[in-house]
Amino acid sequence: MRYWRVTLLVLAALILPRQLDAHEATLGVLEFREVRPGAFVGRWTMEPSIGAARVDLRVPPHCFLRLPEMNCGEKGLVGPITITNLGADMSAVLIKVIPIGGEPRSYTISSANPVVSLLGTSDPTLQTWVELARTYVNYGIDHILLGADHLLFVLGLIWIVGGGWRLVKTITAFTVGHSASLAAAAFGLIGVPERPLNACIALSIVFVGVEIVKQQRGEAGLTARYPWAVAFTFGLVHGIGFASALAGLGLERRLLPAALLFFNVGVEIGQLAFVLLVLALIWAHRRLDAVLPRWGDALPAYAIGSVSMFWFFGRLLRVLAAT
Amino acid sequence: MNFRLARVWIAAAMLFARVEAADAHIIAARLGDFYTGALHPLTDLQDLILWAAMGVLAGSLGAAKGRWLVLVFPLGLLAGLVLGRVFGVVSAGPAADAGMILVLGLLLAAAARVPATLLCAIAFGLALMRGAANAGDLGPETDRLLFAAGLACAGYAAITLTMALTLTFRRLDGGPAVAWRGIAIRAVGGWIAAIGLMMMGFALAT
Repeated sequence: MRYWRVTLLVLAALILPRQLDAHEATLGVLEFREVRPGAFVGRWTMEPSIGAARVDLRVPPHCFLRLPEMNCGEKGLVGPITITNLGADMSAVLIKVIPIGGEPRSYTISSANPVVSLLGTSDPTLQTWVELARTYVNYGIDHILLGADHLLFVLGLIWIVGGGWRLVKTITAFTVGHSASLAAAAFGLIGVPERPLNACIALSIVFVGVEIVKQQRGEAGLTARYPWAVAFTFGLVHGIGFASALAGLGLERRLLPAALLFFNVGVEIGQLAFVLLVLALIWAHRRLDAVLPRWGDALPAYAIGSVSMFWFFGRLLRVLAAT
Repeated sequence: MNFRLARVWIAAAMLFARVEAADAHIIAARLGDFYTGALHPLTDLQDLILWAAMGVLAGSLGAAKGRWLVLVFPLGLLAGLVLGRVFGVVSAGPAADAGMILVLGLLLAAAARVPATLLCAIAFGLALMRGAANAGDLGPETDRLLFAAGLACAGYAAITLTMALTLTFRRLDGGPAVAWRGIAIRAVGGWIAAIGLMMMGFALAT
């Protein structure tokens, strides 16, 4: 019986042909070279397949752009650069900024991330820090609230642990775990390939789903006994996933600690908002006495488990397809 | 076929049926248009007033009647969205929305003892109307499934929390010491009815 199940699930996953299509990246590279403070000469070193003229490029409001010239005045090249029409025909644009003095930097704009914030070419000013905080706190909030896998894991933890201090400890352990690995990965101390990592993240949610089922059957699973240990361990895995979101943004090393801090603050704000919403809804359900009938007790656990297993097989296929 | 085998078959069938969503990359787990759907009602005053009025009315009637709306309201929104997209049913118009606000306000102000079935029918009808109205603003590139999920989740969260808050405030079992709370809710109903009346006048005048 068990073999049948495994065979069926593998067959089901194998029949997902769309994700195996090799998607050829349609990349463009735009270079801005500073010729005098605040003044740049821009050129496409690799023109996107749709043609440079069709790229809807938006620069910070104080900058005046008419390629090949861009003038940003005294404020310099600080603020958001956006490309609004990224899609199937043009998947990403790499923007290289070459200042008069200092290291060149690269920023990647993709359809998943159509805005990048540039932080100037000179030494960091107050405006640089404000821009950095605004950008990375927002980015952190976006990343956690748009990452269904991270949220599902947190939801599973809440389901098992319930409310009160146990939940506070568990969520804190998850936060400590993902903050530590996020910092380690961002500084290059550890490195894990993104695809297997994504599969592991999906598997961590499967684990939580199984733990919920165990708890409903009256068995004390690992998460029920040591929720903070489980939260910390999987927090480490999810943190490396968060770090992948920071990769490729072309941040200078000297700004990285601050960017990391602001990104983490954003992640915590988003996570806290989600936890509070879930707790408020649990309270509301109890107040209304609106609970699932007994036969539906296991539904949430199976829903969490099925969705995450679905992601796991899909991501595993990606890993296999890449090797 | 035993029950366990049936479960496996259902799980496998679901996997086969959802081939389209099988993109494994982390981006596929991102919600994008989900939040567009969830936040879209905030852009329309009619949605805000109607959802709040519906939640307050259901909460004021007690948990036994109100709890059905936890399911009925989001399902109505989904049905309205489907009607709007598939069958091209559009919003009933500002006069109908204003009329609905007026009716809900009057029911609250009169502290009417609405039966659970009628309450569910009103909530479903209202959700149907607003779901269709929200469908009208769907862009061609919007992921409809995610938008619908976002709208339904927002409807579920908004109605559940409003009902629970009203129920907690109302304290139906509180006795005469908290009787003023019932009056306060009726006063809120009066204001909602007044808003509905004004919006109705405005809708008919333009």
